[in-house]
Amino acid sequence: MDLNLLVGGEAGQGVQTVSGALSTILQRSGYFVFSIEDYQSRIRGGHSFTQVRFSTTPLRAALKEVDILACLNEETYQLHRRRVKEGGWVLGAVGNEREAHFQHFLPLNFEKIAEGVGNKIFANIVAVGAILGILGLDLESADSYLEEIFARKGEEIVEKNKQALRRGRDEVIPYVSSPLIEETRRGNSSLLVLDGNQALGWGALLSGCQFYSAYPMTPSTGILNFISSHAKEYGVVVEQAEDEIAAINMAIGASYAGARAMTATSGGGFCLMAEGLGLAAMTETPLVVVDAQRPGPSTGLPTRTSQGDLEFVIHASHDEFPRFVFAPRDPQEAINLVIRAFNLAEKYQVPVIILSDQYLADSKWTYENLEVKERPDAPQFSSFPLPYRRYLISPSGVSPRAIPGLGKALVVADSDEHDEFGHLTEDLNLRVEMHKKRMRKKETMRKEVRLPYHREGKDLTLIGWGSTWGVIEEAGERLKAEGIDSGIIHFSEIYPLPLQIEELFSHVSLPVVVENNYGGQLANLLERELKLPFPFRINSYNGRPFLVEELLLKVKEVGKNG
Amino acid sequence: MGNLFDSQVEIAWCPGCGNFGILRALKGALTELGFSPEEVVLVSGIGQAAKLPHYIAANVFNGLHGRSIPVALAVKTVNPRLLVIAESGDGCMYGEGGNHFLHALRRNPDITVIVHNNQVYGLTKGQASPTSEEGFVSKAQPWGNLSLPLNPLSLAISQDASFVARGFSGDVDKLKEIIKEALTWRGFSLIDVLQPCVTFNRVNTFAWYKERVYYLDDSYQPEDRIKALEKSLEWGDKIPLGVIYQHQRPTFQDKIYSQIEEEDLIYRGVNFDDLFSRGLRLFT
Ligand SMILES: Cc1ncc(C[n+]2csc(CCOP(=O)(O)OP(=O)(O)O)c2C)c(N)n1
Ligand code: SF4
Ligand SMILES: [Mg+2]
Repeated sequence: MDLNLLVGGEAGQGVQTVSGALSTILQRSGYFVFSIEDYQSRIRGGHSFTQVRFSTTPLRAALKEVDILACLNEETYQLHRRRVKEGGWVLGAVGNEREAHFQHFLPLNFEKIAEGVGNKIFANIVAVGAILGILGLDLESADSYLEEIFARKGEEIVEKNKQALRRGRDEVIPYVSSPLIEETRRGNSSLLVLDGNQALGWGALLSGCQFYSAYPMTPSTGILNFISSHAKEYGVVVEQAEDEIAAINMAIGASYAGARAMTATSGGGFCLMAEGLGLAAMTETPLVVVDAQRPGPSTGLPTRTSQGDLEFVIHASHDEFPRFVFAPRDPQEAINLVIRAFNLAEKYQVPVIILSDQYLADSKWTYENLEVKERPDAPQFSSFPLPYRRYLISPSGVSPRAIPGLGKALVVADSDEHDEFGHLTEDLNLRVEMHKKRMRKKETMRKEVRLPYHREGKDLTLIGWGSTWGVIEEAGERLKAEGIDSGIIHFSEIYPLPLQIEELFSHVSLPVVVENNYGGQLANLLERELKLPFPFRINSYNGRPFLVEELLLKVKEVGKNG
Repeated sequence: MGNLFDSQVEIAWCPGCGNFGILRALKGALTELGFSPEEVVLVSGIGQAAKLPHYIAANVFNGLHGRSIPVALAVKTVNPRLLVIAESGDGCMYGEGGNHFLHALRRNPDITVIVHNNQVYGLTKGQASPTSEEGFVSKAQPWGNLSLPLNPLSLAISQDASFVARGFSGDVDKLKEIIKEALTWRGFSLIDVLQPCVTFNRVNTFAWYKERVYYLDDSYQPEDRIKALEKSLEWGDKIPLGVIYQHQRPTFQDKIYSQIEEEDLIYRGVNFDDLFSRGLRLFT
């Protein structure tokens, strides 16, 4: 069983509440859920929708075809009616009779029904009730969910929501001959729902991050909110900075003083952080920065998704310095990669950038067993003779790190070019040695980077990075079912490219690089570094994530030409 | 005479520069207050003034132009046992870093900010700074500076900054006393130091300042905010020196540590093994 629900309306109609309710209720009823959010940068009006897919087996991507479309307004119907499957359901006082060619078209006026409970604001919960009715789920989990989220608003509101839920269900019951859910599951309380932002936040908490400074910017803001909500339990200083420049400089200051520190933003804020990134590199201060990508340039599309910042973050800030760039493929990996990022930032005293995006940030994934495999390493502060040389020129490029105030060492860090003691210098021979020392780290860093996830396929190999993993996997499985042997190479640790990468690429079938950007930024990187051509590229930059069916079509098109 | 805070680094300032007076006063204050170099962190930005930390034996973070305050705030927050001083020029603190200055007034971190106010951009060779007089002529402003000078003291007092003072680099002893008061003050303390730039500011010279400055006497009550605001507006023939405003209020560190019920973050340490087993348990 694999069902896909779409509920849409305008901002202010409570589409996000519907998403939270359906995801949680379905998860608590024992199903694996995968949901995505599509909304505009506004508080009222416009169009927003949520897609909630659920199944008895784990899910990794969003689908185009819909089993139930619930429309809180006309626009939702007009925009999504073509996506309803044959035999699917359409709910809502929308369209007109002639268009009611769907097998199940129930012209429910959610707002009218909600008024029966006392207020049209309950329309979204009426829709949830109607959907649960069609699915054939009992209302037990739904009731307890409503109690949890509306408890703050008082007994009466909880009751009205429960009534709204029942009205919605009662409206559809006469039309449901057999419920959509054939395989009922027993509630499995150990299933866990997690979105990308929460996962990045968990990663920071489990890394022992003690300092988090950030300036709000969609789609990264959820990390700030999440870490704040756990700050007390984990003892984290969280500060909303006056701008991204302050945010990154605070994080660097905290790290200099010995705390594990992180900041997060989106592309525009990362632009402001560029000079700070160089400061972390020059002062060799460990730092973890998350860039939750959205389409640009400039303000772009605040609430949409993109993979347009890869080339930017690899090169951001002037002159050259080594850095790691990671891009988790899902929430589970996000937790693990943040822990790894903190370890490596400290080990090499370099900045580590984690690329997320709106799709990963806002999509909810369900896990039965979520594995936290990475172990946060306690920082190593090796011994050194006094007077202390913060930038001792060492064979590996990494110098012993001391923390101010914790010993006898005077720790001198400088954004100017400096001597081994950290004092500014204009000795150009020394400059050459210092620059080589910093750049030398890259050689060992390359050995540290893990090879991409790889499965061979005889006919073609789909290549991607970050959040597109799930959709590429599922498209690949469908291709296989159609007799096309499709492999995958998927990067979560992108930069520097790992050592054995050339070997891996020496024997791949027709490579097709799939990216949420215009230029094919991973493809460009691979071409440059591997000296191999990657002419077959699938690029989407409309602000939306790839859906399985769409990607499948695009791959087949490439297949025809390739 | 040898001093605990003496540094071996060669000083790159012009002979006769007002910065020397600030350096002597600061070293004197640190010594007389009995600090040892390991407990002091000097954070600076970029400019002539911002080189000062290299000339003192202490912990140093010489960061980016304009960005000393966020770094200093974080260092103090992570390790409140350190004495944290942010120090830089007028361009660095009030221009490039103006936003951080504003927000430090609101937050009240327990740091001391010393601004070498020479009313000019020294390091970049003489352009107008945020505190240059209207009409100040430079290569970049041959027609004279068109903007009014910023009044950092009024700005700070209007925002209820915790401690606001003005010093003069030409009077090392008195400046040292003001610095000592600021360093022992709990909360944000600002000292705007009049510092002649002998190379690029031919208007606000030693003599120019000497003729005008005077010290507030014992009858002056720095707790009165309105009086302090009035005092801070005095500029021209007479320029007041000394502690102009002070008002004790809870610091950023006090507030944040009471929120998370922790103290002195860096000494708490992190139990990494515990975090790992937490991670293993959390999601299963
Ligand atoms: C981001 C950035 N912009 C510009 C500069 C160039 N710059 C260095 S110091 C300075 C101004 C210095 O003036 P001030 O802060 O008053 O210090 P002073 O040299 O007068 O002591 C400027 C513009 C820089 N280093 N970084
Ligand atoms: S340029 Fe001015 S501020 Fe800089 S060292 Fe020379 S006199 Fe001092
Ligand atoms: Mg200046």
